[in-house]
Amino acid sequence: MSDYVLSVLIRIGIEVFVALSAYVLLLMGRISFGQQGFFAIGAYAAGIATALHGAPLAVGIAVGGAVAALAGLLVAIPLAPKRGLAFAAGSLAFGELVRIALLAFHYQVPVGPDLVGPAGADGFRGIRVLFTSGLSVSAYAAAIYVLLAATLVASAWSLRSRWGEALRLIGQDEEVAATAGLRVAAVRMGAVAAAGGLAGLGGALFAHYATYVEPGHADVMLGVHSLAYGLIGGLGTPLGPAIGVAIDIGLLESFRILSGYRMIIFGGLVALFLIVRPRGLLDEVAVRRLARLGLSRGGTRRA
Amino acid sequence: MVDFVQALVDGVTLGATYALLGLGFTLIFGVLRRLNLAFGPTILVGIYAGSHLWAAWGAARPGVLPGVFPAVLLATVGGAVLAGAYVERLSFRALAHQAPVVSMISSFAVSMQLQELVALTAPTRTMAYPAPAWLPTVTLGPILLRSDAFLMWAGATALLLVLFGLLYRTRLGRAIRAMADSPETASLMGVNVPVVGALAFLIASAVGGVGGALIAASHQQVTPYFGLWATVKGLTAMLLGGAGSLPGAVAGGLLLGVVETESLWLLGGQFRDLAAYALLFVVTAVSPAPRRGTDDV
Repeated sequence: MSDYVLSVLIRIGIEVFVALSAYVLLLMGRISFGQQGFFAIGAYAAGIATALHGAPLAVGIAVGGAVAALAGLLVAIPLAPKRGLAFAAGSLAFGELVRIALLAFHYQVPVGPDLVGPAGADGFRGIRVLFTSGLSVSAYAAAIYVLLAATLVASAWSLRSRWGEALRLIGQDEEVAATAGLRVAAVRMGAVAAAGGLAGLGGALFAHYATYVEPGHADVMLGVHSLAYGLIGGLGTPLGPAIGVAIDIGLLESFRILSGYRMIIFGGLVALFLIVRPRGLLDEVAVRRLARLGLSRGGTRRA
Repeated sequence: MVDFVQALVDGVTLGATYALLGLGFTLIFGVLRRLNLAFGPTILVGIYAGSHLWAAWGAARPGVLPGVFPAVLLATVGGAVLAGAYVERLSFRALAHQAPVVSMISSFAVSMQLQELVALTAPTRTMAYPAPAWLPTVTLGPILLRSDAFLMWAGATALLLVLFGLLYRTRLGRAIRAMADSPETASLMGVNVPVVGALAFLIASAVGGVGGALIAASHQQVTPYFGLWATVKGLTAMLLGGAGSLPGAVAGGLLLGVVETESLWLLGGQFRDLAAYALLFVVTAVSPAPRRGTDDV
């Protein structure tokens, strides 16, 4: 596999984590413009763990996810009860606050001959553990996709569980969910924290691949894109956001020849696509049809 | 104290620009209950239309300025309305029966189109925009009132009066307000909801165009980054004002401007945006739960 294809695959894998995090909140009826903040928190935390404190790669990535989930829990206290525009506004403010705070965040420690660590607007260089540990880029890509597959299976499973049912019911009607005896407050907190953790994992994986992160990586465009992925790929299954990312990055790459007109074509395609399939490629109806197809084929085989 | 007052004056001037952006944003959200993320880029298209007109005609001839500025203003408003019509058709009318979030994402996709289109017409990126040259700079004791402050204040006040006159003194205005209150009831009372919604959208784009012209004239230049900036500032002004109230959007815009300049003066450059977003976060966090039916984006 060429280095170029490998880099595109790694970008897709990383963005799927952020897209999934926006998708979980979308199912709960919350539109977040702030998942890029958790992405950056995960990236910085993971980088600090490995580059400054010598943690192994796997531990660093786990730390990134955990710190971002914790941040999600803290943000959830004021924000999770909010709905609609209030949640969107609060999450936008959170994401931008993270970006601005990182511009002022200095925490450098001498590692060997150099000072390493976040240096405000200059970013955080030298997150090199992936390359000093002797792991190849293709092995890292494989690790990302194993983690991603596990995450997708776990999401699909938990969205089918009672927890997922509660999540969707809250998305449809919070008062009804409360009347039905669901622990609405706990589910809301859990969802915002889980979404934070997912975006943080993406950030941690990104930081170690790029070896460099900066406050600009918490740009609001990342948050809006990750929202769009779910709507393009479909809200019926966690695979939807993944398909959305693959379509977006795949199309952007194939439009590279048309550079200059890329966004004009891509933006127009997305807008037309949403008119034809407003709930995405794999919407609930499509998922049900596919499931029935699979079941009936299984049935005939057994007969 | 003098610095505080100077920062306050500058804040009100800056806030007037935010108020203008918040007004257009609120008009669309109030009537359609949908966010138009392409609002800033719509205005951007108008400003570039004005800039190109200025580059083709006025820039080389210094004497013609008083006559050219109205023409540039007209081109700006025309361009914004045209781009607004495109956004309305593709992202709002075509998706009127879908969830509001679909319109929001679609308008974001269209906003990327508009931004790239503008960048294509201006390879150098930054373009000059004319300012009316007859405006004075006034000093009141130690307080300096720059000429663009007069332009902003006079322009914002005039625009506000025209808009409120339209909304409270005309048939169309009454229909728009009825629709903002309840599209179902308005429809039962004989309001042609799709047409009035589209007209409100175009009026909002025109308001954005006038606001954009005033902002570009006070900066005397424009870059493609204006699009996203205008969307974020307009959205913030609207949200600070309680989302859906036009006087609220004006108050929200002024508050945002004053908070930004005062924190810039008190705490330093880094804190300008920090204070603005902290304010937005706190306002969101302490706001009461919305009434049912008003919380759908």
